[in-house]
Amino acid sequence: MAAARCWRLVLRGSGLSLHTAAEAAVKAPEVTGPDVAAAPVARYPPVVASLTADSKAARQRRVERWQATVHAAKSVDEKLRILTKMQFMKYVVYPQTFALNADRWYQSFTKTVFLSGLPPPPPARPDTEPAPALDVVALRDAACDCLLQEHFFLRRKKRVPLYLEHEAITSPFLDQLVASLTGLLSARNPALANAALDCKRPVHFYWLRGEEIISHGHRKGRVDALRYQINDKPHNQIRISKQLPEFVPLDYSVPVEIPVMNCKPDKLPLFKRQYENTIFIGTKTADPHCYGHTQFHLLPDKLKRERLLKQNCADQIEVVFRANAIASLFAWTGAQAMYQGFWSEADVTRPFVSQGVITDGKYFSFFCYQLNTLALTAQADQNNPRKNICWGTQIHTWEGTLE
Amino acid sequence: MALASRSARLALARLGRLGLGSCGAPRRGAYEWGVRSTRKPEPPPPDRVYEIPGLEPITYAGKMHFMPGLARPVFPPWDPDWTPPKFRRLPPLHEHPLYKDQACYVFHQRCRLLEGVKQALWLTKTKLIEGLPEKVLSLADDPRNHIENQDECVLNVIFHARLWHSTEDIPKRETYCPVIVDSLIQLCKSQILKHPSLARRICAQNNMLSTTWNRESTLIQVHGSSGAQLNAKDPLPPIASQEEVEATKNHVLETFYPISPTVGLQECNVYDVNDDTGFREGYPYPYPHTLYLLESANLRPHRFQPDQLRAKMILFAFGNALAQARLLYGNDTKVLEQPVVVQSVGTDGRVFQFLVLQLNTTDLASDEGVKNLVWIDSDQLLYEHFWCLPVVRRKAVVEPVGPTGFQPETFRKFLALYLHGAV
Repeated sequence: MAAARCWRLVLRGSGLSLHTAAEAAVKAPEVTGPDVAAAPVARYPPVVASLTADSKAARQRRVERWQATVHAAKSVDEKLRILTKMQFMKYVVYPQTFALNADRWYQSFTKTVFLSGLPPPPPARPDTEPAPALDVVALRDAACDCLLQEHFFLRRKKRVPLYLEHEAITSPFLDQLVASLTGLLSARNPALANAALDCKRPVHFYWLRGEEIISHGHRKGRVDALRYQINDKPHNQIRISKQLPEFVPLDYSVPVEIPVMNCKPDKLPLFKRQYENTIFIGTKTADPHCYGHTQFHLLPDKLKRERLLKQNCADQIEVVFRANAIASLFAWTGAQAMYQGFWSEADVTRPFVSQGVITDGKYFSFFCYQLNTLALTAQADQNNPRKNICWGTQIHTWEGTLE
Repeated sequence: MALASRSARLALARLGRLGLGSCGAPRRGAYEWGVRSTRKPEPPPPDRVYEIPGLEPITYAGKMHFMPGLARPVFPPWDPDWTPPKFRRLPPLHEHPLYKDQACYVFHQRCRLLEGVKQALWLTKTKLIEGLPEKVLSLADDPRNHIENQDECVLNVIFHARLWHSTEDIPKRETYCPVIVDSLIQLCKSQILKHPSLARRICAQNNMLSTTWNRESTLIQVHGSSGAQLNAKDPLPPIASQEEVEATKNHVLETFYPISPTVGLQECNVYDVNDDTGFREGYPYPYPHTLYLLESANLRPHRFQPDQLRAKMILFAFGNALAQARLLYGNDTKVLEQPVVVQSVGTDGRVFQFLVLQLNTTDLASDEGVKNLVWIDSDQLLYEHFWCLPVVRRKAVVEPVGPTGFQPETFRKFLALYLHGAV
């Protein structure tokens, strides 16, 4: 009886509130009478999936909530922190690798198209005066001076043995070459005069691409994203404060297809490790010189031409250069884009462009890279027609021999 | 084991000989210590075939394998004519081809002179003048030579070197010291647009310098590499005029008796007297311009004190100048008509020492006569301290991230030393 009485009281109470709500609902259209096209006021909270249930919808909602925190992050540092704070097993990609056909694999990891030759030159603007003629003779003299200084004129403490020649002679030669050429060419390009030159500073990048089914463990059978990390150390790099102009428009469609690999990246061989996820262009986010100009890489002794020829891998010589360029330049441009606040759900609105020179002391190869998209995750890549483009030249050698 | 010690065994053996048989130790050689499996095998019995004179033993040497009935061959001991470098012993010093009876006192890059600058001045017969010369200071103060936004650029360089260039929260001195010097040189190089003759320079590292001179019957040598060195195609013009050079004749070098002037130098009898600038003939950049000496060890005891660093700068600059003078004007000791000028900058990433040395004479054996001149600007701070993390007291930021006590004057002097000779 008491319960029934309470029930009736509750009913009356709820009836009262219903009554007031009905009055409010009746009054509301009267209040917004002139604004007839206004959307009806929501009377119930939005019906969404649960946050904690063991369902795909709940997982999707949790993922979206995490993505919303990234979007809402106030500073780039905070954004990068949220994106990289959870550590899981990831593939460690080495730009300088002995793996066969590594450039095709790296193209598929980074959604890059490789075009041989250099990109089309920018259209000549009629308003600017023509640039002063390039003093090729002076540049060649400077380069020869650097080469001869390290190989011949400099007297070192002990005669450098063959296996140390690489780090003791070629490395300082490349340092000197970059410094002299930057100085000489700053007359034509004032941005180079104010550029920052880094020697052997690390470049890191972390990204997700593709999915796999976990084969064993307590999460067996579930879909998991593939994570990659590049930890690169270019020999020299030039950073500028103004971004380089784009080579081709952002949505330029290249008819060349990106190679699709049908097996897991483990076959490359690529190994998984779990450690700190870092994204670093060579300096922290506060540096005004946050855009890249050129990177210079020195190939190690292990990947030199004579060794590859001895192993009957003559076709892999080009592959080594290309794989190094694609991986390093993708990592650098990707990190630059992330420093500006772009990430896979907030794709780049302007292309990020960088250049690279890969050498082993005698053979040089020149590359240009344009990053058009960072959306490489399975979710973001569903309707993404943009591809990253890498242009590369053939291998050029020094003319003449050292006497 | 109960009877492991020899003295105990001997004591018991003596007891045994005295007649206490069963409780005493056994005779020497009667018992072998050790588990049978770990004992070394017995030596093989000696061949009796070779003891018979006049008979030639027939061995299985020619058959190249063992044959039961034949004798074992005895081969001559093998003499390897090559020892791996790991096991080679150096010959005793007296047999070294460069051994000399007179000892030479060598200054290398880790020598710390006890009396610091005073000792370096005595060794190189130099007169000290505090402060950089006016010619160089005028270059520093000339606003035409300033880079635009110079202070902002230098602050960026300090931030980059001390905080930004590495993923660590607080980079160590071993990384930030070379980064800051490289960045400052890069900043100075940006003036190449205004002064194209800055392109006639090149940087070199690890060149082995070696010069020897006599100083009051002691032989002194500077030997080793001093780090990064800027070489130029054109020589630096002399700073002090002829009158000032003549006036140094009256200057008396400071002695520091009872300390010997060679304390801190390495005494050695094996040395080579030939001069070596570190570069071969025909080098397109023959004139040394500036030496950059870095003290970048992480621990303070491993770094040089400012006084010792200045002494090292004087000696290396002097060594370069002397080698250059002897190359240009020959080995005779004389007063130079065209003095040779070499500069040097020494730093530990925060405190800078600037030095300009003018070599007026190669006659260093006596204490009289014309002296060399050196201008030193010591202990120039670029900044007082750098906070890599903000100092927060009671939830308020007391010190923000960045340098405190920034002095732009130091970079102006650095730039002036760099531009000297090219402006």
